[in-house]
Amino acid sequence: MADSIASFRGAALRVFDLGIGQMLWSRRTLFMALVAGGPVLIAVLLRVLAALPVFDGGVGRIDGRPVSLDGPDIFGLMIWTFYLRFTVPVLGVFYGTALIADEVEDRTITYLFTRPVARGAVLAGKYLAYLVCTAVVVLPSVMLVYFLVVPLLGGSIGRNFPVLLLDLGLIGTGLAVYGAVFALVGAWFRRPLLTGIVFVFGWEPIVVVLPGYMKYLSVAYYLQGLAPHAMPQGDALSVIQAALTSVQTPLGTGGNLGALAIIGAAALAAAIRVVGRREYVLGQ
Amino acid sequence: MSSPVIAARRLSKWYGQVIGLNEVTVAIPPGISGLLGPNGAGKSTLLKLVTGQLKPSQGEVRVLGEPIWGNPAAYRRIGYCPDHDAFYERMTGRDWLTALLGLGGFEARRAVLVAGQALETVGLAAAADRKIGSYSKGMRQRLKLGQAIAHEPELLVLDEPLAGLDPLGRRRVIDVIKQWGRDGRSVVVSSHVLHEVELMTSNILLLNNGRILAEGNVHQIRDLIDEHPHTVRISADDPRRLARHLLGYSHVIAMQLQDGAVIAQTNRPDAFYAELTALAAGDEAGAVRDVTSPDDNLQAVFSYLVKH
Repeated sequence: MADSIASFRGAALRVFDLGIGQMLWSRRTLFMALVAGGPVLIAVLLRVLAALPVFDGGVGRIDGRPVSLDGPDIFGLMIWTFYLRFTVPVLGVFYGTALIADEVEDRTITYLFTRPVARGAVLAGKYLAYLVCTAVVVLPSVMLVYFLVVPLLGGSIGRNFPVLLLDLGLIGTGLAVYGAVFALVGAWFRRPLLTGIVFVFGWEPIVVVLPGYMKYLSVAYYLQGLAPHAMPQGDALSVIQAALTSVQTPLGTGGNLGALAIIGAAALAAAIRVVGRREYVLGQ
Repeated sequence: MSSPVIAARRLSKWYGQVIGLNEVTVAIPPGISGLLGPNGAGKSTLLKLVTGQLKPSQGEVRVLGEPIWGNPAAYRRIGYCPDHDAFYERMTGRDWLTALLGLGGFEARRAVLVAGQALETVGLAAAADRKIGSYSKGMRQRLKLGQAIAHEPELLVLDEPLAGLDPLGRRRVIDVIKQWGRDGRSVVVSSHVLHEVELMTSNILLLNNGRILAEGNVHQIRDLIDEHPHTVRISADDPRRLARHLLGYSHVIAMQLQDGAVIAQTNRPDAFYAELTALAAGDEAGAVRDVTSPDDNLQAVFSYLVKH
């Protein structure tokens, strides 16, 4: 048993070595850089806007009502809106569903599946490559946004640093779980990309606001429960944030983390099993 | 008698409603064996079943005495050269082979050494550090062969390894395959061109419509095949000049120029290919880029054989 685990791990790491270079220098990474670069551009724009008279000593106005906000508030809003609800699931869909599908489409899967390695190790290695590749592009983007936005309107970089660390962890967790879920979708479904997009933009936004238990069948629900940012109260910003974050989860940090760990591990294990048993017929 | 390298019993493969292979029972002996059949005959399906890429719909196949589907440990003993042209284009030939050897369990330094030897064998040592995307079709074909032989498997399974090669590349690959056989190892090589297979072995398996039509030594069948004109398409830098030379051969019975290529018909393929190789090695007819033989050659022969 120990031998087979070591052999599986060794094979996965060798596939990782082969896959990481391919993944980092692919057209998909260019797309990922654009997606991750969007919030940075917005952060730069905010820095420019903050210098304009519309912001008056940290008080802005929405429909004539004063809104008190500072850099950390805006950063929290951006983390949730741009990263956790968009960048992370979108990258999960585009990379996760392609882990095996790309190799099948390019017909290079033949070379991997005729080597003396378990097919599941091929998926595991490519999943590791996905994690590293996305983390290398997305996490620096988050840090840039943090340093651009948090000092706005009196925010303190030093005082809020633990929040940045939590956010980085949260985004890493999101990438890992979404990647595993969509690796399973990619291994299982004939049209994985479409299925993934429907899940992220159709299923999740609806179920997290529905009453009942459907919300438990999403990743966003548990991620939302881990968001470290306190909701500002009594102004228009809180209304916007409440609308975006929709509901609070009753599970607590441990419960949400546990749920995400179970979802990620179960999805990855299932994906490994599916790839190990499925026959890939390459078109002539 | 030595045990077969491949033993199939009532082996069938269906793709939905389409039959790829139909109740094939065969025992392929050690040494070099040719798998011959027209396009769609089931050659690639059989080879994919043999290399564990496809799961039998019915029946069983054992390779080197072991079941192959879901048995990756057995893949260490097999080298497979696919028919399709697919690579990691941005990698160099050396890096790609080294990475594949790594997947086969080779330690990093040894993988680099072994990859270099394989590239040398297939004549790609000089291009080893170029990106695969810059390789010519013939170089890519030889690289595929390189990855199949690099780990020195007991059984080589080659799907149309000569397709798209120029005459000299063809000669090189045939030499590698024959040497493999002389070293006491086994090769199963598929082709839709009989004379190509005959250059490597006389032990041939004829496949048509997913069934084994004949197996063993096929010299008699070959005589029948020779009654049919054999078509060859030759891409060349100067097709007119090449055509002028080919017109001088008595066994060329028809010829036409088409899209920068010469389409020739011959009633003596062996002599034709031998003379074409000599012509390509010299300079008088200009450079020959690649030589292909359309599938309908063999399809016509098979229709003829089935009728008789």
